[in-house]
Amino acid sequence: MRSRSWQRYLGWTLVCAIVLIAIFAPWLAPFDPNMSSSKVLAPPSAANWIGTDHLGRDAFSRLLWGARVSLVIGLAATVVGMGIGIPVGMFAGYVRGKIDLAIVQVIDIFISLPAIIMALIITAVIGVSLPNLIIVLGLLKWPIIARIVRGQVLVLREQAFVEAAQAVGCTTTRILSRHIAPNIVRVVAAQFAIVTSTSIFTAASLSFLGLGLPPPAADWGGMVQSGFDFMFLNPWLSLAPGAAVTLTVMSFYMIGQTVD
Amino acid sequence: MIRFILSRLAFFVPNVLIMTFLLFAVLSGWLGSPASMMLGLDASPQAIHDLNRLYGFDDPIIQQYGRWLWAALHGDFGRSFATQQGVTSMIADALQITVELSLWAITLAALAAIGLNSLGGRRLTNFISTFSVVCITIPNFMLGATLIFVFAIYLRWLPTSAWVPWSDGIVDHLLHLVLPIITLSAFYFGSFSMIYRAEYRSVMNQLFVRVAKAKGISDTRVSLQHVLPNSVLPVITFIGISLGQLMGGAVVTEVVFSLPGIGRLFVAGIRGNDYPVILAVGMIVLTGMMITNLLADIVLARINPQVRLS
Amino acid sequence: MLIHRRNIIKGMGASALAVSTPWPVVAQQETPRRGGTLNVAVIHDNTKTLDPRLSIQLDERQVLFLLYNTLLTVQPDFSLKPDLAKEWSVENDGKRYVFTLQDGVKFQDGTPFDAAAVKWNIEQRLDEKVKSSQRPQLLPVIASVEVVAPLVVAFNLNYAYPSLLADLADRAGMMVSPAGSEKYGADFGRNPVGTGPFVLKQWIQGTNITLTRNPNYWRQGEPYLDEVVFRTVPNAVLGLQRIGIGEIDVVAPLGPSEIRQIDPRTTRAIKFPVGRWYALQWQVDKPPFNNAKLRMAIAHAIDRNRINQILFDGEGTIADGLSPPSGLWYANPYKPTFQYSPEKARALLKESGWNMDEPITLWAPSEAVYNKTSQLVGEQLTAAGLKVTLSPIVQSEFYARVVQKVVNFTPTSWGQRADPDSLYYFLLHSKGTGNTTGYSNPQTDRLLEQARSITNREERAKIYGEVQDLFMQDLPYIPLVLGADYVAVSTKLRNWVPSPDSYARFQGAWKTA
Repeated sequence: MRSRSWQRYLGWTLVCAIVLIAIFAPWLAPFDPNMSSSKVLAPPSAANWIGTDHLGRDAFSRLLWGARVSLVIGLAATVVGMGIGIPVGMFAGYVRGKIDLAIVQVIDIFISLPAIIMALIITAVIGVSLPNLIIVLGLLKWPIIARIVRGQVLVLREQAFVEAAQAVGCTTTRILSRHIAPNIVRVVAAQFAIVTSTSIFTAASLSFLGLGLPPPAADWGGMVQSGFDFMFLNPWLSLAPGAAVTLTVMSFYMIGQTVD
Repeated sequence: MIRFILSRLAFFVPNVLIMTFLLFAVLSGWLGSPASMMLGLDASPQAIHDLNRLYGFDDPIIQQYGRWLWAALHGDFGRSFATQQGVTSMIADALQITVELSLWAITLAALAAIGLNSLGGRRLTNFISTFSVVCITIPNFMLGATLIFVFAIYLRWLPTSAWVPWSDGIVDHLLHLVLPIITLSAFYFGSFSMIYRAEYRSVMNQLFVRVAKAKGISDTRVSLQHVLPNSVLPVITFIGISLGQLMGGAVVTEVVFSLPGIGRLFVAGIRGNDYPVILAVGMIVLTGMMITNLLADIVLARINPQVRLS
Repeated sequence: MLIHRRNIIKGMGASALAVSTPWPVVAQQETPRRGGTLNVAVIHDNTKTLDPRLSIQLDERQVLFLLYNTLLTVQPDFSLKPDLAKEWSVENDGKRYVFTLQDGVKFQDGTPFDAAAVKWNIEQRLDEKVKSSQRPQLLPVIASVEVVAPLVVAFNLNYAYPSLLADLADRAGMMVSPAGSEKYGADFGRNPVGTGPFVLKQWIQGTNITLTRNPNYWRQGEPYLDEVVFRTVPNAVLGLQRIGIGEIDVVAPLGPSEIRQIDPRTTRAIKFPVGRWYALQWQVDKPPFNNAKLRMAIAHAIDRNRINQILFDGEGTIADGLSPPSGLWYANPYKPTFQYSPEKARALLKESGWNMDEPITLWAPSEAVYNKTSQLVGEQLTAAGLKVTLSPIVQSEFYARVVQKVVNFTPTSWGQRADPDSLYYFLLHSKGTGNTTGYSNPQTDRLLEQARSITNREERAKIYGEVQDLFMQDLPYIPLVLGADYVAVSTKLRNWVPSPDSYARFQGAWKTA
């Protein structure tokens, strides 16, 4: 589609911007995001571009710092998911047979479970903290990655060069690592972006529901939630972090769709 | 066909039992007991021990599961730790609301996606494909917040939130549902549009369609009579698969708009460590999804004979 | 006067408040209008039962006061008036109370109310099988209840207990129908039967509780309203918006920042005469907080003025004790034992021997004021060099966990009581039923017991002053602020004012058209 190129440009631009913001937040933010002040719920002004929240903290600084939280959780969760999903997918796709069938059953079951529900259940049991959140989200994503990798491996397996390698007597591991792995890179790269996008989405929803990082963490979903009470006074307290989540999720998704 | 259905059913019951048992075990067995979940990780051992005795958490998991299952099959899901109310009645009340919201949302999304993409001109459909990306990436809470701000606060056309039962007036009831329905259906509108567009395009290129056009039949009629029936299939399959995902969307939407549905009940149960509620809702959602998956499988097999033979 | 206020509000944007005095502005010449529905907003509905024998949650109280009558009732200035008890006398040095009951009162199920019913009700409170929430408080006090005549009942006490009358104006005095209790058994909490002006019509958990007028109410001519509906709203601000459109009539409690948003054409803000007492509590009978220097150190690290500024727009009063410094008959002047001083805090921390690397858990309940207090205190303690982790907890579980001693260091709050014994003894006596801090000071115990045995008001007030001084040295709580709480009401509401104990009693209210 001709429209692909604008998606690619927009996606990459936004992602780069967000990553830069996350890295340079301490220098970009005009105030300490956790510093309360007596200017409670001030409207947007020259000093506080989005205004202040219910504890007098600068909402704009919190917005910038929130990028760190979202990106760290999103990317780390994806890494965890890939760490499990790629090996499992490659193994299932290559080995086929009964083992593959069993793995596919497990994958299918886990894929059909709604992410938020499962995340809620698991956080209920193990509690909420940064490492826990990352692990939970990673565990939710690995089946998707495994399935896609497996599909790719199934196709590659039939290719001539694999037959040739088998004929020459390469071991399974060698075939997997030397011949198949390089060819799934593109698929994995696309999935990386898409899974990051959905991880950030789920993490933000969880913190909106009150199961995100404990206070005083500046975390976009939680900011939307606490800003809800003050929609009449200053809608930007909710809308700004909400827009930030949307743009982040959207930009990673666009990258994922256009990796070619 | 019958053989297919029977073979699927044969696996279904054991599958459900295994999955529900796993869920039960996860919720009950992790970290010692639901007692520590209820009391928090820093609870004193004595407090945990006493609670365990009180609720029978010391018994083997299988036994607890059996007990729970037996009661559940008789319609008794116990009493909420938080409100002492019977969980079964809480769920019954909440389920009606979620089901109504979901049905409206899916119907709206499907009709809008199929209708607009079939009848719209080129510009509209191009706009929709861009718009679809936004629809599927925007989180429910952001869409909800924006809609509330624009329509309820700024324009004051609609109420901000809350649930008004049918009995209090149909108009009021529907007005309060407009924004939640739009919020919940956005994701599905986006995905249905994308799926339908793809299928639509491929059907459009088929011979019989070109023949119809050559015969002089109007574009609209071609679209509705020839292309639509043949491209709807993937959308229907997607509906079947996504009924489970709908719960996830409903959870956030219900919290945003304060609708007392299953989603909000579940979140409240989790935040309050209300073990019977978490267990009951989790199991019901899990079983419900396995049932819809099964039904979707069967419908798909009915329509597409290739599936039956695999 | 009204126009002047409106201009201020328009001119200064958000900072002026359309505040009225606690007493109704409208003179008493208006005749009450009959009919109409009063809609009361409930934020974070915690209602679990409507059985006064078992009730714990504050939210339930306002509903209970409409379904049931009490033997006596409390006025806005904390004086007592008759309700189901027409008159009463105190005999035997305060160890025997005799009540003469109203004639012709029937429960909502038609059964008669009499002295036997009162006896049954009190015995229910004392019965260990019932597990009443008032049992721990009343069991040591009440020796027996006797039916002297069909409408005369006497309480024989084990020792003089001045707050009995105040207790009988609250849950302990709410009269439940014995026949109703028998009929509904364990489900009585959802099928309440009392003598009150309203009956339960519908209860959708988490959404609304609808009460409808009791046509056979024993007070002729009352109630004025047809229905009272308690509607759950997700937050105060939405409640305020709905007052504007007439869907809600009362929203409480609100803070000064929330009051800024009201529309004076439809809404009035009334300040509570006495603010709620906000404090930090901890368990002082075991480590880490059994270390008195550590407690003092932490107290010096807290900037209470800042908390007052951010939470209450500076309109609260810094608390250096358990009661307000004035305004109630038992108020005593403050003798502060600590001020905000980060240097002193650090010095005391060193002296206390506290290991600065050890983390301290401060709980953060989800309700707005508690949550903000936690965050601010957390910020200040971190600034003093302590390692603090905030642990969120849902408000509906909060008090239960405090009682279970799972929650240690946390914000907390209490409303003032008609009789100081109900708060002082309750919280500070080593055997007090609300003593969740493990505080035990033999001198305090002695003083509190002494205060119970005398009836002279001035002497009692002095004794509570001494208890307060000990309190400020021992710090089982760190008192923070007496809040500035407001209630927003529709301009159509009449004959209702907030009570200093923050319980809403809507029995006599009515609405203009």
